[in-house]
Amino acid sequence: MSNKAAKSKAGKIALTCVVLATAFGALLYSSLGESLQYYKYVDEVMAEPAAWHGKNLQVHGTVVPDSIGRKDNTLEWRFDLQRNGKVLRAYYTGIVPDTFKAESEVVLTGTLQDNGFHATEMTAKCPSKYDAAPAGPAAQSATPASSGGV
Amino acid sequence: MASLGYYLLLTAFVVCAYAAAISVAGARRRSRALIESGIGAFYLLAAIMAVASAVIVYSFVVGDYSIKYVQRYSDSVQPLFYRLTSYWGGLDGSIMFWVSLLSVFGSAAIYVNRERHRELIPYVVTVISVVEMFFLFLMIVHNNPFQTFLTESPTDGTGLNPLLQNFYMAIHPPTMYLGFVGLTIPYAFGMAALITGYLDDSWLRAVRRWTMISWLFLSIGLGLGMIWAYEELGWGGYWMWDPVENAGLLPWFTATAFLHSVMVQERRGMLRVWNVSLVITTFFLTIFGTFMTRSGVVQSVHAFGDDPELARMFTAFMITTVVVSFGFVIYRLPLLRARNELDSWLSREAAFMVNNWILLFSAFFVLFATMFPTLSEAVRGERLTVGPPFFNQWMLPIGLTLLLLTGIGPLLAWRKSTVENLRDSFLIPVTLGVVTAVAVAALGVRVWTSGICFALSAFVCGTIGQEFWRGARVRQRATGTDVFTALVGLVARNKRRYGGYVVHLGMVLIFFGFAGEGFKQKEEAQLKPGQQVKVGSFVVRHDALSITDDGQKQMITAHVTVLRDGKPFAEMYPAKWIFRKHEESPTTEVAIHRGFAQDVYLVLATFDAATQTASIAVDINPLVNWVWMGFGLLALGIGIALLPDAVFSFATAPVPANAATAVLIFLAVVLSQGVALAQDTIPAIFRSPLERQVAGEIMCNCGGCRLSVNDCGMMNCHGKSGQMGKIQQYIAEGKDHDAILATFVREHGGYDVLMQPPNRGFNRVAWLLPYVVAIVALLGVGATARRWSRRQAPAPSAAPIDRELDARLEDELRNLD
Repeated sequence: MSNKAAKSKAGKIALTCVVLATAFGALLYSSLGESLQYYKYVDEVMAEPAAWHGKNLQVHGTVVPDSIGRKDNTLEWRFDLQRNGKVLRAYYTGIVPDTFKAESEVVLTGTLQDNGFHATEMTAKCPSKYDAAPAGPAAQSATPASSGGV
Repeated sequence: MASLGYYLLLTAFVVCAYAAAISVAGARRRSRALIESGIGAFYLLAAIMAVASAVIVYSFVVGDYSIKYVQRYSDSVQPLFYRLTSYWGGLDGSIMFWVSLLSVFGSAAIYVNRERHRELIPYVVTVISVVEMFFLFLMIVHNNPFQTFLTESPTDGTGLNPLLQNFYMAIHPPTMYLGFVGLTIPYAFGMAALITGYLDDSWLRAVRRWTMISWLFLSIGLGLGMIWAYEELGWGGYWMWDPVENAGLLPWFTATAFLHSVMVQERRGMLRVWNVSLVITTFFLTIFGTFMTRSGVVQSVHAFGDDPELARMFTAFMITTVVVSFGFVIYRLPLLRARNELDSWLSREAAFMVNNWILLFSAFFVLFATMFPTLSEAVRGERLTVGPPFFNQWMLPIGLTLLLLTGIGPLLAWRKSTVENLRDSFLIPVTLGVVTAVAVAALGVRVWTSGICFALSAFVCGTIGQEFWRGARVRQRATGTDVFTALVGLVARNKRRYGGYVVHLGMVLIFFGFAGEGFKQKEEAQLKPGQQVKVGSFVVRHDALSITDDGQKQMITAHVTVLRDGKPFAEMYPAKWIFRKHEESPTTEVAIHRGFAQDVYLVLATFDAATQTASIAVDINPLVNWVWMGFGLLALGIGIALLPDAVFSFATAPVPANAATAVLIFLAVVLSQGVALAQDTIPAIFRSPLERQVAGEIMCNCGGCRLSVNDCGMMNCHGKSGQMGKIQQYIAEGKDHDAILATFVREHGGYDVLMQPPNRGFNRVAWLLPYVVAIVALLGVGATARRWSRRQAPAPSAAPIDRELDARLEDELRNLD
């Protein structure tokens, strides 16, 4: 094969790579926009609640003792989350993880509304430092996140 | 004991450094003695690590709580089995476990290859030793598992988290580790080839098997993790794209890519830079996965410890690895020129290349999305996350494309397929796929991704079936035996190829199971006794709530009747257990009724003992079990590919075993009525243990209590006394536990006489199967190792008929390609 042919081939390959990379990059970027969630601590959100109003959020905080309430005969929960003295009222309907209780650390996914944070998903962190399993899917603590799927 | 352990680690480090240095010196001076000395030092390392492991295991067994690690991960009441597995229960011990495994694996690889690849071995020793040195260094300066309390030590340990005292949790980590550790071997050989410049394909031959074994362990490790998450965590699924899960998946993608592209290099001498880069990337990703999950770099729901110092050390090691490895690749580029060009895009090598790109892209994508929160924090100063839907959105089309390629690849010929080739080989599989697509559409399947997946599955099955059938026919004509024997002979002649097809079939099953996810139904309801909730075609009725106690834990069990189309379908008992020592974290005992078509999956979420109210989460998970069966088949396929030739000398020997396994799975699924854990009951003193056990498992038939004969509280209960009488009678007849239960089931005409349906039958097969195959495979490797280690006598010349047959089959198969 002549040098020239080799060069044009390398050019073609480079071009293909660039086109593919750009296409995937663009797709990735566009699809990213819809599924982005901000990951914030309670005090960060409460510092400027208006800025977070209505946005997709993951809020991380500690459950305030004695704040957990549940409507009788329903799965509707109401509780307060706090961090560094800032408190956020939260609402959640559904089954809560085993480890959800006073003083437990939880991460809620949902949106901030006028009367508080409406969560669609709750994951609870294990209270103790938990580093039992090596890299692998089984290293899950009791965090029955309600989301899932293949 | 602790100081002994620590000195052993120090010695190991010194020995490791010696092995690395002396091997380089030996290779440069071409001194046989120095090289042998390096190899010997490496074996010594394995021995030292074995002793160190023994020391820590011993400390766990005797409960030496002066060692911090032992104190933190075990206590005096922990069963022996979990004391042993506590070895890898925490970070420090798991690093040590890693080092030990790598030293054993490395020794085996060096032993097997020391004569055949004499020019590579010194550098293989060096590379593995350097990797070992890094981890030993970590342990010595930062994560010493033998660290002791400076002040007075506690008298008892804090105990392993009850969630980890679980069978799957005990076996899943070592499986993952074997996979991770094993992938260091191909890297070491690849680097040795780069360093020495012996870049012909011989290093590939040396690592092929090791890669397959590691890939097998990695796959099974992932599968076990999925089963564990499904059965123990109680959120109804098995994969949620958590960073820890992804960490295991990343090297799996690149190792899969390597297993395919290696064939292109062997056959056509192409993709040589690519292959060596893949090996390096795979190794890098194993280290990166460990780094990601251990150093607190990625936020995960699994509160990992933040450990910036560990993060720094890992970063330094990873950067060094990448720079040195790819530096050598660039340095050796002139030697890595491809021997051939791609002739046509309609060729098998092109299909392999596309497959590689997609797999590599998958790895890149998962890495990107997993690291996204960290990246966004670094770039924008704000932590942004992406959820499982984002992963699914991307991985779904990628997965389907890969499935399509699985069907196309084997049908294409090497170099270039002609139009006739294509028509001839694609006709049947494509027809099958199209027919399935039409049927699926006609049946009104509303989830189109699942529909496509079904059609593609049929297409791939068509491809694989056709490959086996045509190959067997050719061989049958040539040898004049029956089709079955011809099939076995065919597989024996090209184990890697046909083992690979079996792996593909396993992947099809896994995808088939994934497709079921599209039809998942989920409901959560708060139910009083007698109330019911409808989910799909099932009605779930809450009958009663019982609270029992066995001294160790309180067990709250919901008694639930599941009806399908108005007819009774199953009795299920989801429960919540509250352990005395860990009242703050109750465990969820999921009840699963398994079947080929779907699992009914019940979780008792919350309860109110006073009103007998229970909130129950109902998941209908279609086709889930096919995923586990797929993993079994995958292990079987690798097993076939790894089997030593000797096994096939008994022509049909492996077949009955496989057939038996298949039958076993089939029977297990049919027979197993569901899963619930055997629950102990309140002890009664006057009865024999057997009687008490059986009475705890037989339902009292007084009609009202729905409790076991043991627990029915009614005085002079006629049902209880009747059942008790029978139990005593059967025991007197000398029947054992299983026989008694079987008799009850027979007399009653159904399993509902039992408190808990036969336990975990299907599961046991599902997880046992890969292990059985893995053990067989390991034995096979051992045998091969022995054979290889002997000087190869010139192979006895094959019978002329064989050679003739070989030529003919090869010829006809080539025409088929």
